[in-house]
Amino acid sequence: MTSDKKFGVLMITPLVVVLIAAVGYPVATSLNLSVTDFTLTSKNVQNIGMENYAAAFSDTPFWEALWTTTAYTVLAVSIELILGIAIAAALVKQKRWVNITRSVLISPMFIAPIAVGLMFRFLLNGQSGAISKTLAALGIDHDFFGSGNVLYTLVGMDVWQWTPFMVLLMLAGMLSMPTAPLEAARVDGAGALYRLRRVLLPMLRPTITVALVLRALDAMRVFEYVFATTKGGPGTESVTVQYFIYQRGIQFFDLGYASALAFIVLAIVAVIVLVFARRVVRQHG
Amino acid sequence: MVEQRFSRILRSTWIAAGILTIVLPMMWIVIASLKSPADLTDATKIAFTPTGENWANALASGLPAALLRSLIVGVVVVAVSLVVGVPGAYALARYGVGGTPLGFVLLMAQVLPPAVLVFPFLRLSHLLKTNGTIAALIPAHISFVLPVVVWLLIGFFASVPVSIEEQARIDGKSRLGAFWSVVIPHVRPGIGAACVFGFSLSWNDMFYSLILVPGSAQTLPLTIAGFNTFRGIELGTMSAAILLASIPMLIATFFIQKHLVQGLGGNGVKY
Repeated sequence: MTSDKKFGVLMITPLVVVLIAAVGYPVATSLNLSVTDFTLTSKNVQNIGMENYAAAFSDTPFWEALWTTTAYTVLAVSIELILGIAIAAALVKQKRWVNITRSVLISPMFIAPIAVGLMFRFLLNGQSGAISKTLAALGIDHDFFGSGNVLYTLVGMDVWQWTPFMVLLMLAGMLSMPTAPLEAARVDGAGALYRLRRVLLPMLRPTITVALVLRALDAMRVFEYVFATTKGGPGTESVTVQYFIYQRGIQFFDLGYASALAFIVLAIVAVIVLVFARRVVRQHG
Repeated sequence: MVEQRFSRILRSTWIAAGILTIVLPMMWIVIASLKSPADLTDATKIAFTPTGENWANALASGLPAALLRSLIVGVVVVAVSLVVGVPGAYALARYGVGGTPLGFVLLMAQVLPPAVLVFPFLRLSHLLKTNGTIAALIPAHISFVLPVVVWLLIGFFASVPVSIEEQARIDGKSRLGAFWSVVIPHVRPGIGAACVFGFSLSWNDMFYSLILVPGSAQTLPLTIAGFNTFRGIELGTMSAAILLASIPMLIATFFIQKHLVQGLGGNGVKY
């Protein structure tokens, strides 16, 4: 081993040890829990093999929650990506008040999601909310938390809080890429749409891929907005996967089963990451 | 020229629309925090006599204690993340130790569903008898703060030219000496940004807090959620509580924004 390498290994060892303790250990424990009938109150824990997983496959409410979460994620992340690129493209060319504008535009991502959820519950509340009241005065009667609307309302909260994350990543991506190709296209007389589709977007692709993966997987964990506003209602219309697992694990103490559910979600997440990661690798050749 | 001016106006309008969408709801919370219970029943009322009652209520509640607990957890979590994360990220960026597999683990750790990790942490806290205290929260928060901090730091370290380090080595410094006295000062703003970002993740987390420390030692987000009732008095107090929790983070955003944009533009975003 060269001494450079030895030094590197020395520097990285504490990180690897802490990662194993704080991430590896709980993942292994969780995997172990998922094949038992462990509950917080149980005395004899038994290994029940794949029974939890088998039960999960016929657990219709779980799959409904997964479907709700998927629809929420796809909708929210698509809107955020488009808005994020559009806002970042405007910010790149801005010359005055740069720091304050950018700070305000990324600020929502630093507020606690529970605070954002409560804020919108307060603003959108049917009888007394400022936004619903203003809309009502304009003759628009919209029940934000009613059946058929609630998913879009939650998506709206996600867009409000997390478009800034897309803005941040897209802005970073745009500022770090060479300006020559865009200039060349402009000099050649290419229109704005052509420059966007043929020059800017292809150059931004690696950033877009990473941003999509991080944001989508974070959106799948949506919990606080539901907790703050609907508690899953009306009926079970806004029960998301994370909320469903929370209910099973904490309200019913059913940790073994809840862990199995979490691993099914993890398997889906891993597939998404692998598919995208392979695409990134292929792009970089 | 006409086209340029037109696109500039369009651009400013677009940015202004974004700012308004963000600022208006926040302003409404500020206004609500200054309204008396009677004024709060009319959400769109603008002319009212401001009162400090809600702020006094918020400060007299369990909120300041929860604020302190969140602060302690955040500081410990960020400190641990820095102590192991700074050398680790440097080794990854500079020597490629761990390479793609470790990079993949760091990415996966960021996207692990919290539901996978939370029940083992709950069981661990029962085994260690830390259940119901903020000590139970610290390992759980490290599990998601550390990967993000390292991920950001890799980007910052990768942007330091190797030549300045080599020069220090020629001048007779050891590897550790060069790292400490030449590389670290270069990435100090980046480390600051990673600190604030990691701290915000811990400060804002409610899911782990809800499951691991739901009782009297609860942290800030859970305390804010406790104001979630629809009686008029609580609404004003809740607004003040939301602001007390958010304002420190919003101020911090202003100072780290530039460094975040730079750090993410380096190699941080690309694996």
